[in-house]
Amino acid sequence: MKNVNITLGKSLSRRSALRNAGIAMGLPMLDAMMPAFAVNDNQPKAKRFLGVSLSLGLHGPLLVPETAGNRYKPSPYLQPLQDLRDDFTIVSGTSHPRVGGGHTAESSIFSACPNKNDGAAKNTISLDQLFAKHLGHETRFPSMVLNTGSSSSPSYTENGAMIPAMEDPVKLFNKLFKDDNAREQDQQAELIRSGRSIMDIIGDDAKSLQRELGHGDKEKLDHWFTSVRELEKRLHANEAWIRKPKPKVNAVAPYHVNLSNTISIENAMLEIVHLAFQTDSTRFMTLHIPGTAKVNGVAGVNEGYHSLSHHGRDEEKIDQLAIVEQAVINEWADLLRRLKAAPGENGSLLDETMVLLTSNLGNASSHDNRNMPVLFAGGGFKHGRHLAFDQKNNYPLPNLYLSALHRAGLEHEHFATSTGLMDGLV
Amino acid sequence: MLISHTTFLKKTQLILTWIFLASAAGNCVAKTEEIRGKVETFLDTYCYDCHDDISAKGNLNLLDLNFDIKDPGNFKSWRAVYDAIAHGDMPPKNKKQPNGEAKSEFLTTIKNPLLEVDREERKIFGRVQTRRLTRREYEHTLHDLLGIDIPLKSYLPEDPSLHGFETVADVQQISHFNISAYLNAAEAALSEAFRRTKKENKVYSRSFTAKELGTEDARGAGNYRGPDFRDGQSITWPMTPQFYGRMYSTEVPDSGWYRVTLKNVVAINPRDGVVWGTLRSGVCSSNAPMMFPVGIVEATTQKRDIVFEAHIKESHCLEIKPNDTTYKRARNGAAGGRVSYKGRNLKEDGYQGIAVSGIKVERIYPNANRDQVIQNLYAGLDWDALKKGKPTREVVTPAIRRFANRAYRRPVTHEQIEPWIELAVAETKKSGASIGDGLHAAYRGILCSPRFLTFVEKPGKLDDYALASRLSYLAWNSMPDAELRHAANQGQLTSDPKELHRQLNRLLDDPKAERFIKSLADQWLTLNLIDFTTPDRSRFKTFDLIVQDAMIEETQTFLQDLILNNRPINKLIMADHSFMNERLARFYGHTEITLTPGEGTQRVKLSSPYAGGLVSHGAIMKVTADGTVTSPILRGIWMGERILGLHIPPPPPGVPAVEPDIRGAVSIRDQLAKHSKSESCAACHRKIDPAGFAFENYDPVGRWRTGYGAGNKGAQVDPSGITSDGEAFKGIQGWKAIHASRPEMLAKAFGKNLLTYATGAPPRFSDNWDIQQVANQTKDDNYGMRSIVHAVVATEAFRSK
Repeated sequence: MKNVNITLGKSLSRRSALRNAGIAMGLPMLDAMMPAFAVNDNQPKAKRFLGVSLSLGLHGPLLVPETAGNRYKPSPYLQPLQDLRDDFTIVSGTSHPRVGGGHTAESSIFSACPNKNDGAAKNTISLDQLFAKHLGHETRFPSMVLNTGSSSSPSYTENGAMIPAMEDPVKLFNKLFKDDNAREQDQQAELIRSGRSIMDIIGDDAKSLQRELGHGDKEKLDHWFTSVRELEKRLHANEAWIRKPKPKVNAVAPYHVNLSNTISIENAMLEIVHLAFQTDSTRFMTLHIPGTAKVNGVAGVNEGYHSLSHHGRDEEKIDQLAIVEQAVINEWADLLRRLKAAPGENGSLLDETMVLLTSNLGNASSHDNRNMPVLFAGGGFKHGRHLAFDQKNNYPLPNLYLSALHRAGLEHEHFATSTGLMDGLV
Repeated sequence: MLISHTTFLKKTQLILTWIFLASAAGNCVAKTEEIRGKVETFLDTYCYDCHDDISAKGNLNLLDLNFDIKDPGNFKSWRAVYDAIAHGDMPPKNKKQPNGEAKSEFLTTIKNPLLEVDREERKIFGRVQTRRLTRREYEHTLHDLLGIDIPLKSYLPEDPSLHGFETVADVQQISHFNISAYLNAAEAALSEAFRRTKKENKVYSRSFTAKELGTEDARGAGNYRGPDFRDGQSITWPMTPQFYGRMYSTEVPDSGWYRVTLKNVVAINPRDGVVWGTLRSGVCSSNAPMMFPVGIVEATTQKRDIVFEAHIKESHCLEIKPNDTTYKRARNGAAGGRVSYKGRNLKEDGYQGIAVSGIKVERIYPNANRDQVIQNLYAGLDWDALKKGKPTREVVTPAIRRFANRAYRRPVTHEQIEPWIELAVAETKKSGASIGDGLHAAYRGILCSPRFLTFVEKPGKLDDYALASRLSYLAWNSMPDAELRHAANQGQLTSDPKELHRQLNRLLDDPKAERFIKSLADQWLTLNLIDFTTPDRSRFKTFDLIVQDAMIEETQTFLQDLILNNRPINKLIMADHSFMNERLARFYGHTEITLTPGEGTQRVKLSSPYAGGLVSHGAIMKVTADGTVTSPILRGIWMGERILGLHIPPPPPGVPAVEPDIRGAVSIRDQLAKHSKSESCAACHRKIDPAGFAFENYDPVGRWRTGYGAGNKGAQVDPSGITSDGEAFKGIQGWKAIHASRPEMLAKAFGKNLLTYATGAPPRFSDNWDIQQVANQTKDDNYGMRSIVHAVVATEAFRSK
């Protein structure tokens, strides 16, 4: 395995790290701050992952701190998060290699799949789904994919198929916490039973069709076949959960949410995410905030979100955009606070949960996919720093994803175009 | 001996690969070296300066590139070389240029082997593999197959698209989520269909008087937002509270299609004879704020009934109000979001209003009546045998065979339906189960089979059934009807070209062809992106949803006229007519046009041929801008890809994008000029920018402007440019004149896009010759757009996998 830093029992003093903070960022040498015993067996394991993604980026000048290291001066957007300063890392100067195309790069947010050369290229598995594939079987829902305003998502299966997102917070709440009555349970059991018998036949059907059509269609029909088998497995697993009571939570379904205010939806959904993690209903989630998101009723904002992102350097527009983006970040931070206050098995729930906030766009006004905004929290990593990489020659963000995989015990050699574990993240 | 399945497949693969190599390449090794040798001088003279092992600009090193085109990557490289030389993109303009003879010799030398390999691959693998029904196709197909009318799209994930086309198989991926969604969608569709066969369906029809419309129940108590009841009329005015104009009494009991008749609609204080409004449905309360359009109301001074048909969800009610951002808003007349009309007369105060004397709401089933639904589900069933006892295999088999025959769009074999027969019989044996339950279970399975959900096409020429499907999905977005199926059964489609065209004409003349026009407008002209941006309200004060709706209708109607009436293709560029309603004409500022109030969208004559043409429609200008600012790049690429058929490669990695500046100090043109200074950028921007610049006089919502910034007071628009082949123009008129005189180019671009849409395969090298044939065949017909559709259907590409 590459990139495991062997430390020699000595650890760097905090003072020496501070002294070098200005220049040391981005150097793997910082790994030396981990005492040697923390590597290997006793390395903290994270159990959960939440990826929050934005279609329209975050305005760089308001997000990226001017200075690097752990004494970085908070940027305007990070001012309200200073109570959490040691709980998250801000990363700048990173992006996904060979991913471009402005909005079309949305599909690569969590997969980091290069899309530059061929528009028809098939997407690859997204980080959350890779987690769910290996570690998702222990909970009622292997993963959950959410969106504040449409059914699209940056979560993709191994076949490169997009997973449709849930966009209704009430439905989401009920799915997680509202028990079906006996009749509904019977109905579901019946639908699952009949679904399984249909899947048996369809699997054979795909195979026989494959023989009729020959070589060219083989791959596509293979995907049909594996999808059918996968669904059979899921239906089988669901059968076991139907009669099990859902966890009880001290909350009610969010009927009050204003569905034309994406901040209000984000708030409701992240509250549910917190409850879902706390009740161990699922461990892997994504929440996407689309470019079509509505911001009606956000105080001080009277224009559409997408239109604001095309601010064209107009200050009035940037001011309004900042209100929306600050609110998005604040909701994310509130989730961190809730996770931090909730006890986990060792430490807080936040210590066991990796929480990311990012976007495919570094600059929405020019549709630039470089310099993606990245806030990363939890998971037992050492936070409180600004990892500042080169804005002109970006550092590969897939390295962060690889580090996240390792932290959950999935010691893959690479993820998408990663070149190793994330420099400076320990 | 038992051969395992995988081994069998591997063997097939090997054999096929071997056949492929043997036939395509034949005496290939010697030949490829020979070809490489022939073009060496050309490459050395014009290419190696930049594309050798040292510079390798654009990551292309021609010096070490073998001519090994059986390898897909190698094929792609040589195809790119061919395209770059053929289209004159390379060598760069400031470098030494080959003369016509050298160029054509080079192109011919590499063209033939490329063509040979591509055609061979087409023959063996086809151009498209396992194309799946899109959501839109799925919904239409189930509506036609079952006779139901409920929306089904929402059960399925959104379709991915390539270059705007949802039909492209390469980007359609499948996962257990899709299959699960298909199970649910089929369940919903079949539940509705079997529900429709039951006798006890009640007829819903209610009429509401003006007074009843203004009566709010407990939900509205203390928070009245309904209409103004005055002089026996129910009137609404331009007011801002959310859900203003709601009529709780009109709440419908079930989800379904309804016919809504507004009685004696009349305009109060009309402008140019009209008051514009919207009719919408929704729960109309703050915990469910979504509103769904039912239709646009054009109230006139002449009292008349207006009829709408729309799908309305259970417990939704209607809401009607004037909706035109240019109308002066009336105050609420009460505090706290309430509305009160007491003590004032809004008519006398001069506000625009829409009055009705009542509303009638009736449940309808637009697609089929009950007997037709019964026929769709039960035809073929042996009722006499059924009466004798519990259903047997023999009883259900004919019904299942007939259903699968239609669903799979081709004759089924016994093996294919045997499992469904077993399933149906097993289901009916359960206690309390009916024959319907058995068929329901089997049909649900059939609707999840890849034989229903994908296009079953074998390599080579399509058989009659596959061809019938292609034709039908092209023109109707749905399955073949009985008459087309009959022609396929008779083998007429493949054997008789006349019959193929007769059928196409029949399909295009049917009202269902409207699906084709809408689908093409959405995918080819990307009108489905129109909601992607919302124009800045403070900057574009007169733009509203009625305007947007009218714009979509303008472009759809225009396209429909071009295709169905076989108009020359250059009408896309230049036309002295369009289709507008009063609202849209006013928005554009076409004061010279007179319209008949109450007629909605009408054919209008414009002042000059430059004033019209689809490419400068408001809808097109809007989908090619970002809501706030225009982008010559977006518009240039759109024109290039959609209309002109220019080959525009994606931007190379690492190129900084141009950041727009709307403060007006810097024009986008100046910014682009800086960006395109470097020769590697210029190669593509020479093709992109000119069209983009030409349209700069249209703002992001399609209105004419002369300057940037607020009130057009910023930098002046400079719409001049030089086309990539060197023709100068001063502005949009010049640009239009140049391109309207190139109908062959337009015909080829449309043909190529239509072929992608209709076959689900993106354009490939050998398609170019199919497309050339389309152009040749339609030339004498002035490149009429309906003729082009026919010519595309006649191509080898359309008629083969």
